[in-house]
Amino acid sequence: MTTAEFGAHNWGMVVDVDKCIGCNACVIACQAENNIPINTQDRVERARTISWIRVERYWEGDFPDAKARFIPIMCQHCENAPCEPVCPVYATYHNAEGLNVQVYNRCVGTRYCANGCPYIVRFFNYWEPVWPESLRNHLNPDVTIRSRGIMEKCSFCVQRIRRTSRTARSEGREIADGEAQTACSSACPTSALNFGNFNDPNSKVSKMKEDKRHYTLLDQFGTDPNVIYLAKIDADKKVGAGEHASHG
Amino acid sequence: MPVLAIGGLGVVAVIGAVAAFIITAWIGQPVPVLGFEQTYDQPIDFPHTIHASLEQLDHVAADGSRMEGLGLDCTFCHRTVTTQANAGVPPVSFCATCHQVIGAADNEQINILRDAADIIGDDGTEPVDWKRVHRLPDHVRFVHEPHIRYLTANPSEVKNSTDGVKTGPSGVCSTCHGNVAAMEQVAQVEPLKMGQCVDCHRDNGAPTDCAACHY
Repeated sequence: MTTAEFGAHNWGMVVDVDKCIGCNACVIACQAENNIPINTQDRVERARTISWIRVERYWEGDFPDAKARFIPIMCQHCENAPCEPVCPVYATYHNAEGLNVQVYNRCVGTRYCANGCPYIVRFFNYWEPVWPESLRNHLNPDVTIRSRGIMEKCSFCVQRIRRTSRTARSEGREIADGEAQTACSSACPTSALNFGNFNDPNSKVSKMKEDKRHYTLLDQFGTDPNVIYLAKIDADKKVGAGEHASHG
Repeated sequence: MPVLAIGGLGVVAVIGAVAAFIITAWIGQPVPVLGFEQTYDQPIDFPHTIHASLEQLDHVAADGSRMEGLGLDCTFCHRTVTTQANAGVPPVSFCATCHQVIGAADNEQINILRDAADIIGDDGTEPVDWKRVHRLPDHVRFVHEPHIRYLTANPSEVKNSTDGVKTGPSGVCSTCHGNVAAMEQVAQVEPLKMGQCVDCHRDNGAPTDCAACHY
């Protein structure tokens, strides 16, 4: 079995929060890549926006010593995902590549999964998606357009993974480290987002996640995410304080 | 008795509703068993027989002799099928490469093409509005390239045949498209529903993971 074959990978992401500058390039890249409907003012006011990845801003410390912090949050592709067992139609499940898959054509829109997700990264299509006429030809043909009444979320750009593995197989070689990139990781100007294969101990992400700054979001729930965060380094904090930034 | 009669009507109504549901679901995607082969009248009566067939045809040439199929490979016109997701339909300029010379000057159908390619007439080039015959639902991502590659390497898995040929790009296409070389007007002959995809994937060790096709 070559690593270009299905199931040989465990895709994951390492997010170095220390490098994130909060530029939102990942958000825009994701919206463009994955045919996400435009979040109009009306939808924002109803709190029904769709954004597979978002950059959350929070403050550390009190004024005037407050510090602005950013953390990008997308589907964590949990190994023990709270969204998966609650789906009555198996529209979401964990596949052999470590992806939490959302099968649009199975989804019946119960929204149990969104209620089960502690990261708030699942989004329901309350309306049929529409784009201005000028954007109709800008849609990505490799991504399904989700119709009204179904759930959607970050797919780790599975269409890019498929394209990469297809290219590798047709050329009779293995997928190189860093060859498969998500839209957000390829758009990130500071390499805060890193996508790769956790099954390969020599891959960039496997080495990065050994960093002592690593933590996972909402660790207490035991979801075992495939997205690993590296904590913010604060120059003002004393060395050896031994605490992770407390997000959440 | 009236109670029984009402009960019988209820049963008939339920069966009728179920049957109506199944039939409409099937019409949504054609199944040959029910005679829903999908075919369209194309803007030009393009005969795949003349271009792709290897056999003697009923068509009569300008000199009165019966025509023989040219036996062009599918990939001669559908050029991207071995490298990309879509098989691709050639531009009219590609058709015109041959047809500015080949074909009688008073052949109406070829003249529609010549007009589109601006060989005759003076209204510029315009694409031919071909109707798509084989169409999958929007939530399926089908890529021709790996399928052609696998079937070319494993001719034993090729179903159907193109005029008896089971090898080469044209031969393997018949697995899902039938013997297109024998069709005057292309029709869908295989159901191309998920069951057929999954059966073949399972038989050949291809992934049956949902995310292999649905994303």
